[in-house]
Amino acid sequence: MSEAASLVLDQVSRRFGDHAAVAGMSLTILPGELVVLLGPSGCGKTTTLRMIAGFLQPTEGDIRLDGRSILPLPAHRREMGIVFQSYALFPHLSVARNVAFGLEMRRMPKPDIAAQTSAMLRLVKLQDLTERLPRELSGGQQQRVALARALAIHPRLLLLDEPLSNLDAGLRAEMAREIRLLQRDRGITTVMVTHDQAEAMALADRLVVMRDGRVQQSGRQEDLYERPANPFVASFIGGSNVLSGRLDVDRLVLAGGAAIALAGRYAAGDRRAARLPESEAEAGAARLRVHHQSAGRDAGLVGQERTACVIRRGPRRGRRCRCLLPPRSWL
Amino acid sequence: MPLLAPATLLVVIMLLGPLALLARFSLNRFDPTQIMVSAMTPANYARFFTDPFYRDVLVTTVRVSAVVTAACLLFGLPMAWRLARSTSRFKSVWLTLIILPLFIGAVTRTSGWMILFARGGMLDIVLTRLFHARPVDLMFTEDAVIAGIVSINLPFTVLALQSVFEGIDPRLEEAAASMGAAPSRAFSRVVLPLALPGVLIAAVLCFILCMNAFATPLLLGGPRFHMMAPLIYWEFTNNNNWPFAAALAFILMATTLALSGLANLLIPRRYRMRRGG
Repeated sequence: MSEAASLVLDQVSRRFGDHAAVAGMSLTILPGELVVLLGPSGCGKTTTLRMIAGFLQPTEGDIRLDGRSILPLPAHRREMGIVFQSYALFPHLSVARNVAFGLEMRRMPKPDIAAQTSAMLRLVKLQDLTERLPRELSGGQQQRVALARALAIHPRLLLLDEPLSNLDAGLRAEMAREIRLLQRDRGITTVMVTHDQAEAMALADRLVVMRDGRVQQSGRQEDLYERPANPFVASFIGGSNVLSGRLDVDRLVLAGGAAIALAGRYAAGDRRAARLPESEAEAGAARLRVHHQSAGRDAGLVGQERTACVIRRGPRRGRRCRCLLPPRSWL
Repeated sequence: MPLLAPATLLVVIMLLGPLALLARFSLNRFDPTQIMVSAMTPANYARFFTDPFYRDVLVTTVRVSAVVTAACLLFGLPMAWRLARSTSRFKSVWLTLIILPLFIGAVTRTSGWMILFARGGMLDIVLTRLFHARPVDLMFTEDAVIAGIVSINLPFTVLALQSVFEGIDPRLEEAAASMGAAPSRAFSRVVLPLALPGVLIAAVLCFILCMNAFATPLLLGGPRFHMMAPLIYWEFTNNNNWPFAAALAFILMATTLALSGLANLLIPRRYRMRRGG
């Protein structure tokens, strides 16, 4: 297996007429890392992925794989495995022929193709459905074929475009786990695009939040939770609970009397309460409307009610929450 | 569908009625003084198949149609594909340019070809003056007829093919490219197999148009080149032989239908079914 590759986006821009779909995007992805581009539709994440894949040329900037620019290479010479949102399986070819397609394009000897294809199909547990046509498969099975097909060519980079959005909720978590395991197992550098923050949280080594063609923030899950760069990141990452409460030096007192301890630089004695969520149910974030009434450290907040905090529910749901006041610049 | 019944009735009266009448005519006997004498004779059909002149006309018609169809597919497929995949804002301009030749009547257009092909025509002048070639006279040749019909049929073929390609998800081509298929291989391995049923319909359309071509073979083919449609006209108007003309019409129609039906067998079985979700 080839060594995992590193990917660098260097001030990449893509304009469509007057509209900049991606504006001056820079990003370094380490070998074996799974980076998720996260953002609302129209934020430029798909355009970015298409530029990496070679379906679009950037109007400015450079994209380098292992230090070498891939911009002169057409899409079919970039050796990237892509899983499309619609899967884009070849409807006239059987499951096995779909997976073998990339190997046939590489003019691999027939016995090797057969061996490699059946190995890939075992990997995604489809060894019994090799002669089916794509339309005879369920959504989850089609997804597995798409994944096997993308991985069969030993791509230098794996690109996933909203890979889970066409699956129902139960299957989604399962596929997310499988994608993650396969990706880790093969150590393949991966870029995934999604608008679904839960999906992103579950899969990513690192998240890149985008908006209007610009990177808003790049970091690990807890960085984005606890040190969001701006209100957009805070609301996009979290936004599942909006709580009203009184801010009291290092705790937030809710209307019902419940108090939430504050983490980060606002929490007394606990400067870094960051912790990875232990389960998906636990990983929720909330926006907080702060009613600051104590003469605390943040005098400027007194009496104001604003969207101010990003919190994460603690182990005992609904009772004690960890939360963080974002930088004052956007309070 | 309240209009379905009157529409069906109209088709029966306007299309099947005359057709039945024609079938009846084709069994009548020709009489130089009375034009047509009621009879039930296969003589008109027998005459066609025993006279090598008429058989040759049919063979020529089929040959020209096959060549024209092949040429239209050869030129039309890449044009239609590029057009279907174009995201340029000039796409509608290209489409209009392709349809534009259809705005000119067949006779006017054919006159243009005559100016181009004739001895002392544009092609002749360019080739002899500029390249010192021997004088060319393409007028009244089969090649001229083929070129003329291709120019008429190509827009139809491109339009039909374009809608076929529009129906194929461009993501499939991207998927093929990501797996290492150069555009030409993505086309031949993915796009073409999926487009095949639609391509066949476009080809049949082109073939039928050509089998029935009238003005072009008449004007560009000249007096010694014969295709079926002008021949039928000739028998009908100049010889006043209605029964034989009717028989010719039926032979032309039967041949066209039979060959169009056979074309379906050209498609491998597994591609014949429609694509599903």
